[in-house]
Amino acid sequence: MCLTQKTGEMEQILEVKNLSVLRVEKTESISILNDINFMVKKGEMFCLVGESGSGKTTLALSIIKLLPKSFKIASGEILINGKNILEINEQSMRNIRGKDISIIFQDPSAYLDPLFTIGSHLQESYHGKNENKKELISLALQEVGLDSEVQTVYPHQLSGGQQQRVMIAMALINKPSIIIADEPTTALDVLTTRQVIDLLNAIRLKHNPAIFFITHDLELAMKTGTRIGIMYRGHIVEIFKPGREKPSHPYANILLGTIEGKDTILELNFKKNTMDSKQMQQKCPFFDMCVEKEARCKKTIPFVWCDSETGIRCLKNGRNTQV
Amino acid sequence: MKKLVLKRLLQLIPMLIGMSFVSFIIIQSSPGDYFAQMKMNPEISPETIESMKVNFGLDRPILVQYLLWLKNMCKLDFGVSFAYHIPVRTLIKFRLKNTICLAIFSLVISWVIALPLAVFAGYREGTFIDKIFSMLAYLSISLPSFFVALLFVYFISKTNLLPLGGTRSIFEVDASSFALFKDYMEHLLVPGLVLCLVNVGGLFRLMKNNFIETFNTPYVLAAWARGVPRNSVIFKHALRNALNPMFTILGMEIGGILNGAALTEIICGWPGMGSLILEAVLSHDLYLVMGSLVISGFLLIVGNLIGDILIAFFDPRIRIS
Repeated sequence: MCLTQKTGEMEQILEVKNLSVLRVEKTESISILNDINFMVKKGEMFCLVGESGSGKTTLALSIIKLLPKSFKIASGEILINGKNILEINEQSMRNIRGKDISIIFQDPSAYLDPLFTIGSHLQESYHGKNENKKELISLALQEVGLDSEVQTVYPHQLSGGQQQRVMIAMALINKPSIIIADEPTTALDVLTTRQVIDLLNAIRLKHNPAIFFITHDLELAMKTGTRIGIMYRGHIVEIFKPGREKPSHPYANILLGTIEGKDTILELNFKKNTMDSKQMQQKCPFFDMCVEKEARCKKTIPFVWCDSETGIRCLKNGRNTQV
Repeated sequence: MKKLVLKRLLQLIPMLIGMSFVSFIIIQSSPGDYFAQMKMNPEISPETIESMKVNFGLDRPILVQYLLWLKNMCKLDFGVSFAYHIPVRTLIKFRLKNTICLAIFSLVISWVIALPLAVFAGYREGTFIDKIFSMLAYLSISLPSFFVALLFVYFISKTNLLPLGGTRSIFEVDASSFALFKDYMEHLLVPGLVLCLVNVGGLFRLMKNNFIETFNTPYVLAAWARGVPRNSVIFKHALRNALNPMFTILGMEIGGILNGAALTEIICGWPGMGSLILEAVLSHDLYLVMGSLVISGFLLIVGNLIGDILIAFFDPRIRIS
């Protein structure tokens, strides 16, 4: 039975509290995710934006508990429908995956088994009773704009866009409460990207799942997201609502500047963040790069919620009054 | 699929002709011949040797000799062995049966042992049990077949656990076919196990690496993420994909049946093709060498064909373009 936690008007489907992930090497442990805090509510599209290597995919894999062997969750909680998945065993987690939480990966051609037909993939993804399996599969395909005949073909016989639609159909088939979309449009052309985004939005409006959309494209996130989280080197530095307010964190502003055509990004090109993961835990992770830094930024900066939906990890803007 | 098989079978003809032509020229161009040894024997007159040469057609130019041999080979007549004085076809038929039995026995046993162990060790990569299996595999790879064969022969001769040498014991005339089969298998066991021991380590390592590679592919991760049960992830997705490169190895192993077992056959006294080819080459028994080479080439091509067909059958990317 799914437990739900209500905050305000909308149900919280996913809540991540103080999550830290380490990569354990022979001699040392490197911090990959540091004190991650956010939640995704039913029916919303939460976009997580960050550059390559910032830890977006690690976060997605942490949420489905499929981190590589060398990665270890050091602390924190991941609540799905109120249940802390870090406390449950692998067998129970297997029952949650695909059913309560599903994921769409970035390169569909690599994530579909080349030896099996699309129908076989969809049948395997469906966890319900067998009675109306065929009907549901056809319906899921129809919903993503594919013919039922596509079931007999193999992944390599489909285009990239069609393959991604299949991935979405597989993610959708059990009507999960949250769908993680890990850069689902990275391998696609502009038109197909638009179609996939429209499809995800249509699904969100129809079935009301929470969508955790990971991308490195801030412009796309600004257009599609209900809330946006900005990630920088393993830290969520700001969560804000697009349209209503502008982000306050200097890094978020630099990213935004790239969309607006400002040359702030040029400053970054000549600077290099030389801090290692330990130093980043001891002071603001953006300290080396920040043009607005002060002496007080040289200490651990926690992530602070400004209201129930937005928050920041910076002292500068005044919203972070708890520090 | 049918097209692929037909195409490959047609390719077999020019390949066999080309291979046999080059081999014929090389053998005939090498210094000395079968009759060189006879010339040393004062009991055999030069006239006798000359008449034998005429009988075997060796007095004609090399190209004519080859064409004559080729013409006969089309009728499956490989000529007569100089040393055994019986048709090469009869000689090869008996020896080939033994070699194929030996190869199939060792192939089946080594694959049946290596593949499940490789999947088991691959799934438990880095654990104590994986390290033990890997160490044994290294041992199997590093031991030369002749050394293992010598150890086996020594051990069996000391313990008398199994018969050694030949393919059958001396039997009563009315021995049952089951008794004959059992006896044949007992004779086969020593060279078969030697080959199996030498082969199993390499197969284990190849399969384990394939399995680990596929087990870490994105589509296996995606299967876990869809909540697919563990056994389905391992056997349906990881194992099926890991088996694909093994079909090529299987084809190559079938192709190498004749050459792979020669040393083991000789040491264990198994009357197979390996020892026959070696004797034939050493004594310049032209038609026997040529006959063996054709069979060897045929098996090589057929082995690769079987590998290709299996890959096409199991991999839709090759079957459906």
